[in-house]
Amino acid sequence: MTDSNIADLQSPASMAFEFLGRWQDFAESLGMRSDVSAGGTCTPENMVASLFPALGMSREYQEIGQRMVEINARFQRRCAEFAQQGADIGQGAWRAYQKRTSEGGPKLAPDALYDAWIDSAEEAYAEAAGSEAFARLLGDLCNLLSAFKVERGKLLEAFARQVDWPSRAEVDSLHRRVMALTEAAKKVPPKPRRKTRRPAKRAPR
Amino acid sequence: MTAPESFDRWLRDAAAMQRQAQSVLRSLREAGDVEVGMSEKTCVYADDKIRLHRYSALARSAKLAPVLICYAMVNRPYMLDLQPDRSLIRELLFLGIDVYLLDWGYPDGSDRFTPLDEYIGGYLGRCVDFILEENSIDALNLLGVCQGGTMSLCHAALEPSKIANLITMVAPVDFKTPENLLSTWAQHVDIDLLTRSGNVSGEFLNLVFLALMPFRLTQQKYVHLLQMQADPKQLENFMRMEKWIFDSPDQPARAFREFVQWFFQQNRLVRKELELGGRQVLLENIRCPVLNIYAAKDHLVPPSASIPLGAQVGSEDYESLEVDVGHIGMYVSGKAREIVPRSIARWLSKRGRQRVRRRRQATA
Repeated sequence: MTDSNIADLQSPASMAFEFLGRWQDFAESLGMRSDVSAGGTCTPENMVASLFPALGMSREYQEIGQRMVEINARFQRRCAEFAQQGADIGQGAWRAYQKRTSEGGPKLAPDALYDAWIDSAEEAYAEAAGSEAFARLLGDLCNLLSAFKVERGKLLEAFARQVDWPSRAEVDSLHRRVMALTEAAKKVPPKPRRKTRRPAKRAPR
Repeated sequence: MTAPESFDRWLRDAAAMQRQAQSVLRSLREAGDVEVGMSEKTCVYADDKIRLHRYSALARSAKLAPVLICYAMVNRPYMLDLQPDRSLIRELLFLGIDVYLLDWGYPDGSDRFTPLDEYIGGYLGRCVDFILEENSIDALNLLGVCQGGTMSLCHAALEPSKIANLITMVAPVDFKTPENLLSTWAQHVDIDLLTRSGNVSGEFLNLVFLALMPFRLTQQKYVHLLQMQADPKQLENFMRMEKWIFDSPDQPARAFREFVQWFFQQNRLVRKELELGGRQVLLENIRCPVLNIYAAKDHLVPPSASIPLGAQVGSEDYESLEVDVGHIGMYVSGKAREIVPRSIARWLSKRGRQRVRRRRQATA
């Protein structure tokens, strides 16, 4: 290192900023967001988008894993919406409760206050639960869980094959065969009864 | 009363509630397991997991054709005979009716491919045939409850000659009415995907049922329990209900998928588009007398889902009976106990005595 280089050296803090600036330029040139510190990049969607494409010998398993990550991300998003719905219902319930209890005045006993809260909460819930948006949200949550279970089943299936356990597919196949046999057996007409012949008596000697 | 006095009273009430709750919890800890389904019965027919029970008579016979009760698959049928003083079956027995009960059992993985038709045309059909044979009669009385009511309607439409009188109780017919919350939710569920991983667990069903009225069913019910007197009998009653509510069998995947798709999502029964085992199910084929009992405050099967039956069946002898209770109250409430069994017995006895098989009479 020459003397002139040494003269160029600044304080460690300003050096760090300079490195960071250059890093940001580099990141932006690659289309990446450079404001990591803002906390906006670590969303489930970005996590999914940042996954490498599935390649190589374990490609199918990587794909299953990626689908599970994606389903989980979508589930998290819908859960957040569900929580928001819950909060809205809570607010509606509180308004209904205030109205109810103001009618009863200060005479309401603790158990009456509690029952009034439950009535108000159910009223607000029923209104929301019957809406198309709520039904769709609930349906989505259920469908995402089902999809996750299906993917998990594929992994378990592969694991069962590795350790020579009976897999679900194997058991299903046996079930189908038993069902087909049962159906076939039902269609077989009963055999007519044959008259049993008595053994001939031996002639007396 | 001044504000401090009022507050003081409020605190005293709260303290009394606390003491009461402690006493109930103590009694609950001391209470043992509860018994359910107490009336004497015999298993007369078995087919895979299905059991057909015949109840022992408790009174002189009313000389009516036997009643076969077909309960829902989503819950256990002992609800109809929960305890001696809360038993529809016992009341019917006291009125001289011969009662059979179809128990679907607890389906497991080996039932995941069993189609709905096998439950309605197969198991239920074979139970009907068995009873006809055992009693040497042409037709029996069928009492279908809840989902079992829908299944009974399908069976009666397919085999009208074997059903003398049909009674449906809290049975859904039109699955797409605005009040039907279960149906509203079911429209967005991908049922193929749900059942692709096998049977639908009873726990899942319990969650769905609880979600219909979450605050009452997961909170208020238990708070009210704590307010009960620590009377062992009352607590036992509560525990029996509790046991039944969460005793939901897993649902066989294929039959469940077909039921939800065909009934809840496509409403095929009232649209005359339902086929079972290659045969069209037309409610207009039901020409026997029909009694439709529904609950005015039913949150599971709203009256609007049951009432349309009258316009669908081909019978000219149709009656409906509204009882001012909820879905569960229809089985156990005092009000329903007073009205329902007597109404059934009266309605049945008006429609004739037991029809003994003609072939048998001719032989005699």
